[in-house]
Amino acid sequence: MSATISQAELRELVASWIAQGKRVAGPRLVAPAFRSAPQVKPACVFYAPLESSGELSLGGFIRPANSVKEFIFPKHEELYAYRITGQGIELSEVEPPAVEQVLIAARPCDAASLPILDHVFNWDYKDELYDRKRQLTTVVTLACTAHDDACFCTSVGLGPAAERGSDAMLLELGEGEYEVRCLTEKGKALFDGKLQASERVASVPAGPEKRFDAVEVGAFVKEHFDSPFWPAHTLACLGCGACAYTCPTCHCFDIVDEGNIERGVRARNWDSCQFTMFTLHASGHNPRPNQAARQRQRIDHKFHVYPEKFGEILCTGCGNCARNCPVGMGVLGVVTAL
Amino acid sequence: MLAADSYRFRLTRREQARAGKAAASRRTPKWTMHNIYEPDLMKVIETRPQTPDVKSVKVRFLDEARARDFSFRVGQFGIFSVFGYGESTFNICSSSNWKDYLEFCFRRVGCVTEALWSVEEGDVIGFRGPYGNAYPTEEWKGKNLIFLGGGIAMPPVRCAVWYALENRADYGNITIVYGARTVADLVYVDELDEWAKHPSVRVVRCVDPGGETPDWKGEIGFVPTVFERAGVPAENSVALVIGPPIMIKNTLPVLYRMGIQPSVVYTSLENRMKCGVGKCGRCNVGSFYVCKEGPILTMAQLERLPADY
Repeated sequence: MSATISQAELRELVASWIAQGKRVAGPRLVAPAFRSAPQVKPACVFYAPLESSGELSLGGFIRPANSVKEFIFPKHEELYAYRITGQGIELSEVEPPAVEQVLIAARPCDAASLPILDHVFNWDYKDELYDRKRQLTTVVTLACTAHDDACFCTSVGLGPAAERGSDAMLLELGEGEYEVRCLTEKGKALFDGKLQASERVASVPAGPEKRFDAVEVGAFVKEHFDSPFWPAHTLACLGCGACAYTCPTCHCFDIVDEGNIERGVRARNWDSCQFTMFTLHASGHNPRPNQAARQRQRIDHKFHVYPEKFGEILCTGCGNCARNCPVGMGVLGVVTAL
Repeated sequence: MLAADSYRFRLTRREQARAGKAAASRRTPKWTMHNIYEPDLMKVIETRPQTPDVKSVKVRFLDEARARDFSFRVGQFGIFSVFGYGESTFNICSSSNWKDYLEFCFRRVGCVTEALWSVEEGDVIGFRGPYGNAYPTEEWKGKNLIFLGGGIAMPPVRCAVWYALENRADYGNITIVYGARTVADLVYVDELDEWAKHPSVRVVRCVDPGGETPDWKGEIGFVPTVFERAGVPAENSVALVIGPPIMIKNTLPVLYRMGIQPSVVYTSLENRMKCGVGKCGRCNVGSFYVCKEGPILTMAQLERLPADY
């Protein structure tokens, strides 16, 4: 016994969520900014807020170019506001998260990133800005039917229909029908009464072949810190940070004051360990003075430090790093060379 | 932020009335969430130039209840901020026994410290903390303490010295060797004199060769060299060594030759930090998060970490 929904009904449901005032985000085809660009930079699918269910893209792409983390951990997030007057400083709270959110048609490799990130944002100090948004969000994944050569979810313990982090999962049955698996109470609540009972069960494809052993990678970076492997295979890195920004699990951030002489906010912005100034000391000393050291840190953090601290790899194998890397490297490029 | 903006900002603030600043500062009531990044508002009660580019600042909590309830352990750090400029991490260099204020010491090197340099008595700044681990003062009980500090690294040593002097009976002989590049770069010089007056406390101050003035009465030489020359007894000792990497690198062999083991040589590994709570991913040395598991660690622990600091 399973439950199904047609694409038309699904789009109606999405429209109803939007009408209810929920913030709905999902894959959306985004045209490039410059009109002459299409031959250079084709229209791309991104996870973006949806204003109508017609904007939701449900096929014709492997995965969006970004990740869903920005809906829980925004690129720029105000922590609190301050006013500076001649009489002193006044601190005030910024609007706490209150709007319910639905992430629709997220890939399994995106949904899985959220429980992985939960660890660090609740490590001793609970980050309520993050936790509140997590609680307000329901994740509906769209299982994969194909992969490309940048995908490597199966190398990090996930797969095309991995359920980690999903509240409900859609699986394509063909002919515009989806099997719906409600995995949590939140997922059930979202689809309550909208599904047809069915005998049809989706077949899940095999997924990409395993490209490397994640445990071996973690052991290598721990034991071969000074290996010439790092400069040899990572000096091509430009330090652009595209990998970190499009990665579902990268979460490094900077805290800055932004404002004028009268008022402003202290905010956190995405940052990346690949940037030169990331670890630069005021004295001028930089513990990670070149890209080799910074790339090594990336692999170290993802495959050794995070598993050691929290028991999970800080990577979901989505392949965004490899796809978006201007020199075609990404985490995948480095670990497969090991 | 444009340089022109920050210049205008400082002029405007200086021109404004100073009185009542702290009294008028506040946090709006009834925040709906607990925000781990929210700072305490602190009133600056004293700023003191220590060298041409180093100042020490004393601050007090504006909120009296917080001032009463607050405590920290010596060695921990705080994240101090100037609203409009940003946050910066400094060791809390006052002794944990002092309840009237917190103190930190900084060198003027960038955006936030430049703004801190203009901060005056009565101004309000932010403080988050205390973060990090502390000096293992319990483990140090009954031991002879060797404090070795270099330049701007003296403040984190200073709080440990005061703490030990205030709990004098708990510790054995205390030796302090402190050096800087030049005489003008020495900080807390008046306190060095005070420390020397205590029983069984030996203070040796030095400057790098070429950094002495004609009337300099202290030693001339780098801290490792001067320390070796000083012939400090090594038995039953622990050492706290904080300074520029080159100083630490050259001091360790001296300590080890004396028979002081890496497991009792402590340092403070002050990496660049931002959030202070283990989330921004910046300060780690391998799997050692400086803001959570440090910044205080022994050389034995440091040797097991990758050279990523």
